[in-house]
Amino acid sequence: MKLSCDQEKLSKGLGIVGRAVATRTTLPITNNVLLATEQSRLKLAATNLEIAISYWLGAKVEEEGAITIPARLLTDFINALPNERIDISLSPRTRTLELKCARFEGRINGVEAEEFPPIPTIGDGVATKIEPEALRLAIAQVAFAAATEETRPVLTGVKAEFDGDTLTLAAADGFRLAVHQAPLATPVAERTEVIIPARALSELGRLLTEQEEPVEITINPQRSQVLFRLKDVEMVSQLIQGAFPNYNQLIPQSYSTRAEMSLSDLAKAARTASIFAREGSAIVRLQIMPGEETAPGRVVLSARAEEVGDNVGEIDALVEGEESKIAFNSKYLSDVLAVLRQDRVALETTSPSSPGVIRPVGAENYIHVVMPMFVQW
Amino acid sequence: MCDNGQNILHVDLDAFFVSVEQALDPQLMGKPVVVGGRPGLRGVVASASYEARAYGIHAGMPLARAHRFCPHAIFLKGSFPRYQHASERFIIILGDFTPELEPAGIDEAYLDLTGFESLYGPAWETALRIKQRIKEEIGITASIGIGSSKLMAKVASQLAKPDGVLEVAPGEERPFLAPLPVGMLPCVGPKTERVLKGMGVTTIGGLADLPASLLKGRFGLLGEMIHRYARGIDEREVEPPPAAKSIGRETTFIQDTLDRPFLGAMLHYLSERVGAELRRDGRRARHITLKLRYADFDTITRSRTLRQATDADRVIFDAALELMERCLCHKRQKVRLVGIGVSGLVDEGSQLSFLDSPAERWRRLDTVIDRIRSRYGFTAIHRGRTLLLQILPGTPLSLAPAGELGGPLPVALARQAGDAPLGYHHVGEVSWYGHQGTLIELGNDGKTTINGGAEQGYGATPQVGI
Repeated sequence: MKLSCDQEKLSKGLGIVGRAVATRTTLPITNNVLLATEQSRLKLAATNLEIAISYWLGAKVEEEGAITIPARLLTDFINALPNERIDISLSPRTRTLELKCARFEGRINGVEAEEFPPIPTIGDGVATKIEPEALRLAIAQVAFAAATEETRPVLTGVKAEFDGDTLTLAAADGFRLAVHQAPLATPVAERTEVIIPARALSELGRLLTEQEEPVEITINPQRSQVLFRLKDVEMVSQLIQGAFPNYNQLIPQSYSTRAEMSLSDLAKAARTASIFAREGSAIVRLQIMPGEETAPGRVVLSARAEEVGDNVGEIDALVEGEESKIAFNSKYLSDVLAVLRQDRVALETTSPSSPGVIRPVGAENYIHVVMPMFVQW
Repeated sequence: MCDNGQNILHVDLDAFFVSVEQALDPQLMGKPVVVGGRPGLRGVVASASYEARAYGIHAGMPLARAHRFCPHAIFLKGSFPRYQHASERFIIILGDFTPELEPAGIDEAYLDLTGFESLYGPAWETALRIKQRIKEEIGITASIGIGSSKLMAKVASQLAKPDGVLEVAPGEERPFLAPLPVGMLPCVGPKTERVLKGMGVTTIGGLADLPASLLKGRFGLLGEMIHRYARGIDEREVEPPPAAKSIGRETTFIQDTLDRPFLGAMLHYLSERVGAELRRDGRRARHITLKLRYADFDTITRSRTLRQATDADRVIFDAALELMERCLCHKRQKVRLVGIGVSGLVDEGSQLSFLDSPAERWRRLDTVIDRIRSRYGFTAIHRGRTLLLQILPGTPLSLAPAGELGGPLPVALARQAGDAPLGYHHVGEVSWYGHQGTLIELGNDGKTTINGGAEQGYGATPQVGI
């Protein structure tokens, strides 16, 4: 293997595939990154056995070849080099990668590419395309609601339903539920439901920021893997097997109080309350008060930390229905407010112990349900 | 004069340390027993049985002297964890009667039963019930004083010793106290007593008759206080201790170990203990701390903050296990102690969850386990995981946790269930003596059956529903 490429591009590529390098692993080779020439390109790939990311960058290839190198070491070394051409050559006998850049050079011992876990390729299956911005927003509004603990594996995933020209993403951790519908650029041939690890989607969301062309999504016929193809990047993720709970029955069908307010007002009041909430039991109390003849409706947010202090904030709201009270975990409230894009937001409640529903006003494609906290008022 | 309608109990365990030893080893009953150490050693008597007291031995006396007084007395070193365990159970029993409870040391406590009469009947009946439960559950006796104030209750309990109940009727405080020696009054120590004697005062009545100004001039604030006490006046309230800021349990192994299943089982056991205490107090914790002491005495603590406060055994365990795995990744050495602590305690606002969520299932499970344990004791039911900790006949004791399980050692029989709901094994307990057997089954319908409902010779089968 002998090639030369640009330091900046190689550094960027290592940063991208580095997200898939295993951290705590029982398979040491997954700490490595694969370098392989493919015609006039250099392919970088890494996998933690749940996801695999591949990246291609332009290179002047003189001699084909492949090797795996400790990812952390290689990345740190390349990042430290000046922004110039890097000449890379492999001594096949000693499996030592030699790198030269300007007046620097380094040698790193590698492990044969044959020992690297195969990066799955998906040829056929259910295929579709989606605009990157639509997918990015869907991921941002849903993935955070997935469970982080492994106690019930399906809940660490995001349910993805491909139906006609719509993709529905849903995640729930037992305390909250987020559902987002995004348009597909190409309709799917058959209705398909899979559970994608939330971690994989979060990584994908990161990759999408620089993407302009539609993303290709392919699910293999066994429904065990999904491939996302972006420009120069491919990500393959294992799918979670199991039955995702029927989340539709968790969405309240009615409400007794609805408050519509400015998103930035609510987010600011929630942030202020969280300062006290985090010192105590993480509770933010919301009191929704309908307007009277001349006075507008109000939402009062309060939080207190025992033996520390408390605060109260008030914002204007269009209130429909009766006065009501509800308390939320401060983090759950801030999490959802942070991912909304619309100017106004609606909160729908039924009772202090029934789920609260948060919807962006003017966007029918997102709904967030949060279970309240049971408190003494 | 002091009939303020207050109904205060002072419960005092008789010869506490010695009584605990006697309860564990009935052969010590009725003999002069001294806890504190061997007579050859330095040190003082911590506790003496009433039989030993007959020889003039009392707490605080040097051991050597006690030995001279009664050479054939049985001298024991004692075990503080054992007394602490008994003391905890003592407080738990009292807590069943009223939350207005103020522990005043390891073996005594004040209870305010004011307003409970309509519920429990007269205070002396409650006192008898308290004594009975202490006798049944700890195996020792208590003396109880009842009065209109902490002062009266305390004096009465001292007079009631051993194993008695004494009530001072409201309005009778001063005549009751008057003939008693002045040294029986709280806050009158041997020194004050000598000074008073020099002033010609030997009884509490005599003290009450002195002018307040004279006592104030002689003893300052203490003088004012003992003068009030002597007249039966005490306005101190029963004050429950402030809530603890953290709860923790730890255990040292007899033999250092790196056996993962065993360490995991121990962590689970500690999580259950901590979780049970949280639930008993109606509180939840935000921070979980793991403590590990390696064989080389290097001790580390690692903490995790949960997204929301919890009182679920499972959540505490998961966090602790993850922390332990991480510690053992960094330093792979045998462990001599593990502990779990929880802090950031909150007593309001439990997070509600969707009905079929794991959290909801754990909550229901914990509730059932707590109910079984409150009725049949902590060892009545185990997670399959903690069976490893049970000492089966023939198992080397080195694997047993030191002093943690306490009391008679439980032996568990496990029967792998075909479809154990909620990840449970069906578990029964046979006591160390090998007779009583209880089989507890958690059915798929959410009902808990004890002894299968068909077991012969155990009387009615209790059913605990969710």
